[in-house]
Amino acid sequence: MTSTWESLWLGFSVALEPAVLWYAFVGCAVGTLVGVLPGIGPLSGISILLPITFGLDATKAVILLAGIYYGSQYGGSTTSILMRIPGEASSVMTCIDGYALAQRGRAGAALCIAAVGSFVAGTFGVLMLTFLAPLLAQFALRFGPPEYTGLLVLGLILLAYMSSTPLPRTLLMAALGLWLGSIGIDVMSGHFRYGFGIAELGDGLGIVPVGVGVFGLGEILATPSDSAARKVSAPKLRELLPSRAEWREAALPIARGSLLGFVVGLIPGSAHIISSFLSYAVERRLARRPEAFGQGAIAGVAGPESANNAASTGAFVPMLSLGIPTGPITAVLLAALAVHGISPGPQLITEYPRVFWGFVASMYVGNLMLLLLNLPLVSLFVLILRVPYAYLYPLIIVFSIVGVYEVNHSTVDLWILLVMGALGYGLRKLAFDPAPLVLGLVISPTLELSLRQSLILSNGDGRIFVERPIAALLFSGCGLLLLMSVGRLLGQNDWRGKLARLEGGES
Amino acid sequence: MDRVAGIVFISFGAAVYVLSGDLPFGTFSAPGAGMLPKLALLGMLLFGLVLSLGRGTSRAATRWDDLPHALRVGLLTGFAVACYTWLGFVISMSALVFALLVAVERRAIGRAALFSVGVVLAVDALFTLLLASPPEPGILGF
Repeated sequence: MTSTWESLWLGFSVALEPAVLWYAFVGCAVGTLVGVLPGIGPLSGISILLPITFGLDATKAVILLAGIYYGSQYGGSTTSILMRIPGEASSVMTCIDGYALAQRGRAGAALCIAAVGSFVAGTFGVLMLTFLAPLLAQFALRFGPPEYTGLLVLGLILLAYMSSTPLPRTLLMAALGLWLGSIGIDVMSGHFRYGFGIAELGDGLGIVPVGVGVFGLGEILATPSDSAARKVSAPKLRELLPSRAEWREAALPIARGSLLGFVVGLIPGSAHIISSFLSYAVERRLARRPEAFGQGAIAGVAGPESANNAASTGAFVPMLSLGIPTGPITAVLLAALAVHGISPGPQLITEYPRVFWGFVASMYVGNLMLLLLNLPLVSLFVLILRVPYAYLYPLIIVFSIVGVYEVNHSTVDLWILLVMGALGYGLRKLAFDPAPLVLGLVISPTLELSLRQSLILSNGDGRIFVERPIAALLFSGCGLLLLMSVGRLLGQNDWRGKLARLEGGES
Repeated sequence: MDRVAGIVFISFGAAVYVLSGDLPFGTFSAPGAGMLPKLALLGMLLFGLVLSLGRGTSRAATRWDDLPHALRVGLLTGFAVACYTWLGFVISMSALVFALLVAVERRAIGRAALFSVGVVLAVDALFTLLLASPPEPGILGF
């Protein structure tokens, strides 16, 4: 425990350096903006700004990019409450009661409770990350190729199980992602797979053009500007303070949302989205007046907003300690570390303590910054929201193009961006969730390497995956989840179906 | 919609599988370069089949009324990408923003021209001065 405190001290000495503070601030501010603006999510925001971090050292780069991620969770509530448009998918639940509160003239109180809940949950999440990640990393030193294979397969199946789209659709997207991830030169044999005579494809498809294309450009193609008309009014500063009764009503949902969100955040999948839905369901179940939900219940804002922030922090635990992305956003963050020559995994904490502990400490600071940033600047965000979408999306396309090009200075990447934009549009039309595709793309090389190493080690004997205790446990988990998924395949209407309908715009 | 999606992915998976003919699958004791991609393609075929044979339980019917907008934006972006290294960032991106505002969004030409040049120069300055990473110069040197 002493060493954790000493390490945290080292982290704060890094995080409080003026330059690092500046990048944490920029990340939080950009993240809030990304969260506020519908049509640009944290994944496209991080991907677009990834090239900007190439000139920075790894610590500043990851602090900036992570700030965008958790900052976007804060910002997403603003449009949900003021306009009933979720800036982020994870803010869908906040729309219901947040907007109802705004209609009753309590928009300021809802914004304040969302911001305070996000701060409490974010800080709780970082505290848990501080103590849990080193323990998990220590444990992960026992992992060999079969264990990594099991962990990655479990991650994909968990993502499919937790997803709001049907299992075959999610697994289909994961399979497509795994195939896309296999494009390029095979590191073990030197085969050039699916090169189609394009030398630039030798290194494979980059996460940036694919992520920005599928999530950013795809969203723009599917959003005509006349469907994005906005009417928004800003609450006055004096209206931001909730009443004592509202604080009392929010306290327990914030605590429950923080805990629930963090636990869900550890699980691969769109944790920040799922956690807010689960928190809303829990709060409605526990409420004395469940009929108030949908009419402007404070708990309906406090719980989900806390949960999605805690989940975004929880997602950093497997990312930092195991080197395993739990979703496309953490996958891009892993790619950012890789660009700086850092391989995330169990050794990250011991080999790069400044990066790890500086990052953890910066999140304490970042959460405080976000609390101070979000409430006083709400009028500024409202002003930005008034910029017509017709002027906004061309600017997003420009940033996407320059962002993707600057990674490798390759026009092939720009064509990949365009093709992936078209794919993203098509997937939206056919009601596919592209997140498993991006996750499959990212884990494909690691999964392939560990699978082939395991088979070579065992001379082709598949028992290597069940004879080693940790691998056996992981594959048992895969089997169990697949069995549980059969119920979904048979058409049971559970919470995922409700989430899918809500994401689809029904409420 | 499930059936359409299933058939699309079955066709795509089958076509790519045929293209993968020369990639060696290898054996379990010596897996080849084709093992993972072929397993992924088989997964795609399998789940595509499950989807197309299912009960069609996915969301409401798709509306394609935004397709003309998507095509216009996609084509203009494609054209800008094709000219990007030749014309450079400033010219190609200003032209793209201007074309999107005028041809797709039907905005006034004067305001669109001012906006497109203004924001592109601001982005150029951001990358050049603040981030020390100047965007692609074109034939005119900027």
